[in-house]
Amino acid sequence: MEEREISFATLPFGPQHPASSHFHALVKVEGEGVLELEPHPGYLHRGFEKLMEYRTHPQNCVLVDRICVLDPFANELGYVNAVEKLGNLEVPERGRYIRLIMTEFGRIQSHITWIGIMGMALGFDSICRIAWGDREKIIRLNEMATGGRLYPCYFCLGGTRRDISPEFVKLAFETLNYLEEQLDFYDRVFFNNESFITRTKGVGKLTAKEAIELGATGPNLRACGIDYDVRKDEPYEVYPKVNFRAITRVEGDAYARSLCRRDEIAESISIVRQLLRDLPEGPFNTEVNPLYAAPKGECYFCVEAARGELCFHMVSDGSPFPYRVKVRGPSFSHSLVEFPRLAKGAMIADIPVIYWSLDPCPADMDR
Amino acid sequence: MVNEIVSILKARFPDSLLDIPSEGRSIVVTVKKEDFYPLLSQLKESGFDHFSDVSVVDYPDEQRFEMVYHLWSHQKKIRAIVKVAIPRESPAVKSVIDLWTGAQVHERENHELFGIGFEGNPNLSELFLEDWEEIPPFRKDFDTRKYVKEKYYREEEGYPIVKG
Amino acid sequence: MVLDQLRRVFEPFALLKNLFKKPMTLQFPYEVLPELGGYRGRHMLDLEKCAGCFICAMVCPNKAIFPVEFQGRKYPRVDLGKCCFCQLCEEYCPQNAIKLTSYAMLVTTDKESAVITPEELGKMPGH
Repeated sequence: MEEREISFATLPFGPQHPASSHFHALVKVEGEGVLELEPHPGYLHRGFEKLMEYRTHPQNCVLVDRICVLDPFANELGYVNAVEKLGNLEVPERGRYIRLIMTEFGRIQSHITWIGIMGMALGFDSICRIAWGDREKIIRLNEMATGGRLYPCYFCLGGTRRDISPEFVKLAFETLNYLEEQLDFYDRVFFNNESFITRTKGVGKLTAKEAIELGATGPNLRACGIDYDVRKDEPYEVYPKVNFRAITRVEGDAYARSLCRRDEIAESISIVRQLLRDLPEGPFNTEVNPLYAAPKGECYFCVEAARGELCFHMVSDGSPFPYRVKVRGPSFSHSLVEFPRLAKGAMIADIPVIYWSLDPCPADMDR
Repeated sequence: MVNEIVSILKARFPDSLLDIPSEGRSIVVTVKKEDFYPLLSQLKESGFDHFSDVSVVDYPDEQRFEMVYHLWSHQKKIRAIVKVAIPRESPAVKSVIDLWTGAQVHERENHELFGIGFEGNPNLSELFLEDWEEIPPFRKDFDTRKYVKEKYYREEEGYPIVKG
Repeated sequence: MVLDQLRRVFEPFALLKNLFKKPMTLQFPYEVLPELGGYRGRHMLDLEKCAGCFICAMVCPNKAIFPVEFQGRKYPRVDLGKCCFCQLCEEYCPQNAIKLTSYAMLVTTDKESAVITPEELGKMPGH
């Protein structure tokens, strides 16, 4: 038997690549198999936490959307609730209902964006054009209610900045009916597609014990069988009055994670229907001093974003500027801990599938 | 359930400060630096298996850093917050990667941004910043606006304009 | 079992019906979506009402507003390269002088024209 010389090549899964976005990783391959993957984050690091110490709370509320652009309402909800918990501020019922309606629409919009990008990573370009065309209908709702398409700047201390009109409620019901028909279409064309099933079943398998140890949250954890949903375990706003369930599956591979996200779209549509039906009348915000100084203390508030558990640790020293804000982004553990672990031993063609089935957002990894 | 854990902690670490906020679903513990690692192992054995975050708060007037560990238990649905104070001149603390593997990247980020040493962490190389020569940027004595003005702006008629 | 697999292979061809539908693409800027009202676009200033208090400059999160001389008084000048279109200046102006219109055709190749002087702020955008 002759001795074979083992040699490997290093490829960049770089920031300019059709299947990656703002994320750089160096992949060591031998033939078709991956030996090791080393992530290099930092393309979107803006130093958010330090910059928030120089601005007052109303100024921070309009800039905090930019932490994760694909799901902007979750960031605003977390920041505003953390300050309100510190200061025990009152928010009227109508304000709370409006906040949750917009947040759930943001979750549906984020999952539809994910359908498009997952299709593109697998080589199925048509589904991206169709999915982002449907996403446009939710963004029109954003524009009608808040005045901005992707950066809403909508929540403020004590409620929301503008009210929603009866035309918004009517357009929202039409959009929900349209999205339910489209889910049927996506099932036939994408989720029950033989190529999709073959490429994702059994790929990137995470056991439950591994997932807890590596710090996974969100649909990635629920696809392994553990039901941890912040909306059910530590409820906030008016979630106790809404009837819904946390979606779990058992297998833990890329196929299970994809189906978890598809079922969450259906669940969110039902949540928004209940909220729109029970929307009360009344004021939508309370007046808060623009130089509001939260009392001295600290607080840790967690919100369920579309990607996982998004937490704000806020320390205040009695002045209008926050003393320290720490943001825990859900994609921090997913891209930097789980992605290298799952990519080891896989084939090169599986790397985009594993990466996009974890649904990372480089903006909330780097902040 | 919260009371069982509180009684175990009180028995084993009598001089740590325990506080239970009014909702009854979270515990806040303040410990001294010597008891910090045994307390975290005790919490891991009591079922706190999800490591959420570690954050650092800088108090330059009192010459200390305060490290805050946030944990969650999936079975009991309780949150635990552990606070430790370490001195500001030579900040170093034992790493917790033997208890929770996912904590390695969080400690790497705090080492780069605050300059805290974690003993036992195998990889503390740079994460976000490249070729950084100043002091760790998230400390309170680093002035972000002054750094940006000197490096990127030039003064003209009293109003900063971007260089180039 | 085999029937299921065959169905999963041939059913996605339902996509072909999209070939006969009208595309969703609009030829911007010749075709635009209808306005919904309340969009946050370029600023407009009412030169009579402005008192020169510069609360707008204090509350702006990105320091995009700066006081300059115009017609013998101090008026605000807006730098659109820094502005994040958050509408805080309109919310906190005590005279209701500065407002955000819905004009959004702000693309330019010239960095100097991104700074709007008080004279241009006094006129409706797009003229």
